Amino acid sequence: MKRRSFISWGTAGLVALWSAIGVSLAAVVRFLTPSVFYEPPQAFKIGNPADFPFGPPTFLADEKIYVFRDREKGFAVASAVCTHLGCTVAYFTSDQRFHCPCHGSVFIADGSVQHGPAPRPLEWFEVTLARDGQLNVDKDKVVPPAYRLMV
Amino acid sequence: MNVIRDVWQSIVRRDPLSTDKGKSELVFLNLWLHIHPAKVKKENLKLKHTWYLGFITFFLFLILVTTGVALMCYYRPQSPQAYQDMKDLQFVVFLGRFLRNMHRWSAHGMVICVFLHMCRVFYTGSYKKPRQFNWVIGVFLFLLTLGLSFTGYLLPWDQLAYWAITVGTNIGSYAPVIGKQLRELLLGGHSVGESALLRFYVLHVAVLPSVMVLLTMVHFWRVRKDGGLSCPVWKLNQQKNGELVTIGASAETPSLSVATAAKDKTYGLMEVVTGKPIFETVTAEEEEDTVFSYPYAFFREAVALMATVTTVMALSLVWSAPLEELANPAKTPNPAKAPWYFLGLQELVSHSALLGGVVVPALAVLALMAIPYLDTNPSRRPADRKWAIRIFTIFVLINVILIIVGTFFRGPGWAMVPPWVHVTGAE
Amino acid sequence: MERRTPQIFFALSLIALGLILAAVWQANTPYWKIYQRDFHKLEARSEPNALAKAAVLAAPPVIQQVLLTGLQRVDRCTTCHLGVEDPTMKNAPQPFRFHPGLGPHIPSKFGCTICHGGQGLATEKIDAHGNVPFWQTPLLPKDYIRASCGRCHKEGDVPGVPELMEGRRLFETQGCRGCHKLNGVGGSIGPDLTTEGASHRAPDWLERHFLAPNVVSAGSAMPNFHFTKEQARALTYYMLSLTSEEMGSYYASVRLIPSASYGRQLFVEKNCIACHNIGGVGSKSGLDLLGVTKRHSAGWLDEQLVNPALVYPGSSMPVYDLETNARKALVTYLASATAEDAQLMLAKAPKQLTPEDAAIEAGRQNFARFGCVGCHGLQLQGGVPNPNAQGGEVPSLLHASDDYTKDEVIAIIRNGKVPPTENSAKPAPPLYMPSWKAVLTEEDINRIADYLWSIQQKKESW
Repeated sequence: MKRRSFISWGTAGLVALWSAIGVSLAAVVRFLTPSVFYEPPQAFKIGNPADFPFGPPTFLADEKIYVFRDREKGFAVASAVCTHLGCTVAYFTSDQRFHCPCHGSVFIADGSVQHGPAPRPLEWFEVTLARDGQLNVDKDKVVPPAYRLMV
Repeated sequence: MNVIRDVWQSIVRRDPLSTDKGKSELVFLNLWLHIHPAKVKKENLKLKHTWYLGFITFFLFLILVTTGVALMCYYRPQSPQAYQDMKDLQFVVFLGRFLRNMHRWSAHGMVICVFLHMCRVFYTGSYKKPRQFNWVIGVFLFLLTLGLSFTGYLLPWDQLAYWAITVGTNIGSYAPVIGKQLRELLLGGHSVGESALLRFYVLHVAVLPSVMVLLTMVHFWRVRKDGGLSCPVWKLNQQKNGELVTIGASAETPSLSVATAAKDKTYGLMEVVTGKPIFETVTAEEEEDTVFSYPYAFFREAVALMATVTTVMALSLVWSAPLEELANPAKTPNPAKAPWYFLGLQELVSHSALLGGVVVPALAVLALMAIPYLDTNPSRRPADRKWAIRIFTIFVLINVILIIVGTFFRGPGWAMVPPWVHVTGAE
Repeated sequence: MERRTPQIFFALSLIALGLILAAVWQANTPYWKIYQRDFHKLEARSEPNALAKAAVLAAPPVIQQVLLTGLQRVDRCTTCHLGVEDPTMKNAPQPFRFHPGLGPHIPSKFGCTICHGGQGLATEKIDAHGNVPFWQTPLLPKDYIRASCGRCHKEGDVPGVPELMEGRRLFETQGCRGCHKLNGVGGSIGPDLTTEGASHRAPDWLERHFLAPNVVSAGSAMPNFHFTKEQARALTYYMLSLTSEEMGSYYASVRLIPSASYGRQLFVEKNCIACHNIGGVGSKSGLDLLGVTKRHSAGWLDEQLVNPALVYPGSSMPVYDLETNARKALVTYLASATAEDAQLMLAKAPKQLTPEDAAIEAGRQNFARFGCVGCHGLQLQGGVPNPNAQGGEVPSLLHASDDYTKDEVIAIIRNGKVPPTENSAKPAPPLYMPSWKAVLTEEDINRIADYLWSIQQKKESW
């Protein structure tokens, strides 16, 4: 190499190599990120409003939600997944609370934490009425606890 | 006959083991054994110095790899076949129950022994200069052991597995910035399901063992290059300042002491370079305390290996690993507990997920790694290190107590229930 | 120390060898091998000569596995229960005894656990029988095993298990659907019973529950129907049969039992007597079916049922979409059909009803079918306790016309009605009138109202 260039070929080569490694790493992370999910869908229909009783909520095990139906205010859907570490909470009619079996978190009926290590209240999901009259729940859309669907 | 002797000598090219030359060649001509020095200090081999915990940990790893590969012939990482395969191993596969038990008890044993090994290295001060980075590699090996145990825990796909991993990955999601994405990458989805099972399987049988092997190689290599097995604590008072010199030793190390070359020893001359000294030296007195690795070190290691193997086998014959009901995402068992080595963590997490689950453990790990750099006291004698020993002992005790509380004192709903109180009908 | 270390190594190696041998011995001597050996000894006793005896005794022990992909299970029960298909083992001690009455349900096609429960994957007695922690379907007690027939045979009758038909009949007529959904139809006051058989509730719990719902299930609003023990058992059988078994196509195709009684049921259902006659009894427009199975082969008759126009072009016999076993049942019935039987059918046939009476009859059937009788009573007398409702119980419908117009009643059936609360401080009443507009058509609702009004009129005319 007779002429001293601004950047030597060796340096340029290293820059190219590190860039290639960087791009590969980013590509690997994208590779590992799933594009489809072999899971139940996040938005789904749960049936007709008439199918849900008043009073204690209906637990849907596969979807992990509690469906509340109030005579005056209508429908509300709460997540059954404890905000602490993901265990499924159980609703007890005796004290109208959600109890988590894993570390003892207790949520009152509007989802807020009464005591226990849970950092956040239970999430409430948007429930709407679909065109065919069935109830539509979307777990990707979190709504405030006061949200109700009047049918 | 000459033919047999020739064939034998073409494979085994060393001198007979009855000669000193043969004993040395067994070590440095052999691929598998040449990590050993040809001669070791007798005192360093004493049981009470290291309890051979490092070796035992490694032998347990070998048992895990062997039994693991065997189990792989009968296990499919799919739901629900995974659970059925566990039942098959228990009822139908010849030695299936035995091999699975060996795998599980070796795993528990390895977690215990790697922790005890870390304690031993700390108490004998064997992490001090120039072995600091080897300690750090050791901490990584400890984390890898926990990681292998965690990924393996999901594979039986029963209720215990499913919920332990749900809890564990949710703890990880509390990590700032990357927590949620890391959890999704690990699970291949939003919750523990088929993708999680497959990914944990890949981690457990391929990725983590490879990293473990690579780091173990570095760890052994470094032990060798940092001066071999450390000197026992009770010999420290008699130690002269003629320390071993290693590659890259700084200018502050004392100059080499000169000894006359012995007649029956060969010295290799690798290269003449200027700069720092590059080969080990041994004082004349220390030379008298050394023995050949074969048979001294080797038979001790062999005893450690056989003791480990027979203990694991005996346990596996009488004590069976548990298998609960098939994983059911709709039903959380009460209480839902992580494996025992994570129960201390779960106890912390039950008080605060971010602080207890991420911050405190992360700080603890960083503090562990920093020990050799924070501890500038060059002395290894216990009398000179009282506070270091006290602080570390407190750390160990806290861990043990947390695990005991999590195991025995936490009942349904994670309520504090002493083990002598009988709780009925927890559902 | 240097002689001792190799000695310790040697000792430990011997121990290791011993432990390996112990593990191999343990793996090689499971209990099922002993059972198999004992079975071979039993078999050898009935062998004629020494050579045959030796051959049987020398048979190697092997795990017997039935792979049932269509039923999504694997059963290994026959590893110990080796005499299940061997009639000579009628008096053998368990586990070798012959299983009487298997019929087509041989283990190689059906396994064992689909009827009996238990843990088919296991090869040890206690684990296989399923009474172990973490296995939720233990062996069904002897008294209830026949309920499993209903897991597959959900339609038609099941010979030998009258409890299933009785249970089904009770369910449909006592008004259970008023509160409980089954296969999507019914109310939602109580739990959905579509998969009650798979809920892993113990059979005796179910039976006790039917006899005293409030005692067994604390706080339940289910009224006590005062069932007899036999009725409770029949209902328990029916409940136990309600599993959601996923079955391969082979099993789905054999669910209907092609019995003569089912064939007769179909004959009546499809009203064949409207066109055909048997020995002259019935309609003359179609052919006489007496002895038809002697004149034509079963295959020919089957083809007739599938495609009547094939043999008689221009035939006015409609195409009935019957599955294979349903057609077989009809043919089986025809083999034994008599003119006297045809006479019985004609006698029982419903009389011609006026349009008004037909509507009332349809309403009466709806009223029972959709479970209204469960709360309002078989005689519409009401009386089921409803704590904290005004009146304290479900109202009688006999005087509905006093308080409501017919249109108001139709609106109540359509939209439901919540009973007014007696004391607002106490919890709301558990029972309420559900909304039926998603389940019943407007026509059905109107017919129910017609039926109710017909009852009112009767009362008034007293």
